[in-house]
Amino acid sequence: MLPVVVVHGGAGLVPKERSEKSTMGVCSAAQAAYLILQGGGSSMDAVVEAVTQMENNPTFNAGCGSLLNIKGEVEMDAIMMDGRTLASGAVSAVRNIANPVQLARLVMDKTSHVCLTAEGASQFARSMGVAEVPQESLITEYSRMRWKKNLAPDANPVECQMGRMGTVGAVAVDVEGNVACATSTGGLSNKMEGRVGDTPCIGSGGYADNLSGAVSTTGDGETIMKVVLARLILFHMEQGQSAEAASDLGLACLKSRVEGLGGVVTVDPRGNWAARFTTENMSWAAAQRGTLHYGLYSGEHLTRSI
Amino acid sequence: MPAVVVVHGGAWAIPDERAKQCVDGVKAAACQGLSVLRGGGSALDAVEAAVRALEDNPVFNAGHGATLNIDGEVELDAIIVDGKTLSCGAVSSVKNIANPVTLARAVMDKTSHVMLTGEGANLFAESIGVSSVPTDSLVTEYEKREWEKHKHYVTGVMENFNSKWAHDTVGAVAVDCAGNVACATSTGGIRNKMVGRVGDSPVIGCGGYADNFSGAVSCTGHGESILKVTLARLVLLHIEQGKSVAKASQLSLQHMGDRVQGAGGVVVVSPSGQWAATFTTERMAWAAAEHDVLWFGINPNERLKEKLPQ
Repeated sequence: MLPVVVVHGGAGLVPKERSEKSTMGVCSAAQAAYLILQGGGSSMDAVVEAVTQMENNPTFNAGCGSLLNIKGEVEMDAIMMDGRTLASGAVSAVRNIANPVQLARLVMDKTSHVCLTAEGASQFARSMGVAEVPQESLITEYSRMRWKKNLAPDANPVECQMGRMGTVGAVAVDVEGNVACATSTGGLSNKMEGRVGDTPCIGSGGYADNLSGAVSTTGDGETIMKVVLARLILFHMEQGQSAEAASDLGLACLKSRVEGLGGVVTVDPRGNWAARFTTENMSWAAAQRGTLHYGLYSGEHLTRSI
Repeated sequence: MPAVVVVHGGAWAIPDERAKQCVDGVKAAACQGLSVLRGGGSALDAVEAAVRALEDNPVFNAGHGATLNIDGEVELDAIIVDGKTLSCGAVSSVKNIANPVTLARAVMDKTSHVMLTGEGANLFAESIGVSSVPTDSLVTEYEKREWEKHKHYVTGVMENFNSKWAHDTVGAVAVDCAGNVACATSTGGIRNKMVGRVGDSPVIGCGGYADNFSGAVSCTGHGESILKVTLARLVLLHIEQGKSVAKASQLSLQHMGDRVQGAGGVVVVSPSGQWAATFTTERMAWAAAEHDVLWFGINPNERLKEKLPQ
């Protein structure tokens, strides 16, 4: 059963013309992470690699391709967590860096803190020698188009839902049975300046604990926070639920309690995994025992060998 | 339904010379919260009023009296949660604001977001007419001296915290006559923290959580440890499993000690008015106001009682 990695490229409504790129993106991220795990790498290294790849892929709303805030600027959130020690690193509203998930890992490894925000996160990045990148390099035609459309007074809600698509994340279990999670996002299109969503909030955007499993979430951030979704799912697993049942219970609570839609990828320490969502789509991929599993639509589960 | 307010002024090794001021401060804040409930106010109004009183009191590390970051600046975190709807508002790393808890409430009431950070939080404050105050007005002589003393020290080190590190985050939980619960937490964070460090306080499920189905919690202690175990949510998970408020608090704090070697404290209230104030640090100043009685304490197992004027 081990190792295993499961990634998502965001829950929401994936426009037809983007569906293929989105599926290809999650598949190649899962394969890259799987390669690390097969080589004896840790689940931490694997999830960071998977998320880094998706941050670098302009198809997704993270790193390059991030959606823009109300002022047309890029502010990104990311988190990662080590299920062995519960050590965690996060950054919120950080600007001008290519790979927020790698900065989150540095916060975890090099500071005594868990989360750094905004200008302080940038200062830390500079002190670590992380290259600053021009904002333009993170902005795509698509993200600018979404921003402009949402600025219009008659912006329609379906379009807005597309606008919150594309947070990326990964969970993994390595051959030693250690679990980890990572999540990264540009957040909500046309969000207020300084808005922090669920992603960098431990327990909401992700959680990992060797005693129960790991979860990375995506979807309607404000509602995910209100039910502390990742922690809630792991709580159900602590109570004996399977990764799949626990994910569905968490997502059902999200819907019934705060009318939120979203998606999750979940693993338990034995390698059982799930990719579940209540939105129209979620691009996801999982690699285990030489097989790549992937899908985009509800109930879709395709496989091919790696 | 019995209305109750429970407040804390932070869990740490409070030195003797500050003990009385801390106890007086939490007692006054609890009374402030109770008077809101007596006047027909909601649990949400009560926790905001109680935390405002603690923020305004320079004895505590929140609002006036906040600790300074490594650059000698004040950066504040706060959260408020409404147990009825799970609505939440939070600000992190905000500067020049006298009452971050009220700004957090404005994020909840006036935006579609849950959390605003840094400069964005200040821009929002400005846009709704919250006046900004000069940093100096938030800084006490005591904190300036402490900052000088610790300037060259590596911050946030756990051994250090668990002995003496000042962490007097403030917080309150309440249940009103309608059975609605709420929580609020506010802090200046860790002394000499890195610029932009966000602790547990503004993170939902960590610094606080409230849900009418189970109760409300406000946390204090070593922030990084509280984050790692999502302490507030953990306490309520135990309550959902049928544990009492006291037992749920003990189990959760013990788990935090065992799993990540962190110490801290919590105040908890259930929708039926059961409450607890529990800590694993040397001391935590706390007070609980219900009906005509004010309970309070600062040392382990201390539970003193005063009659309140009707």
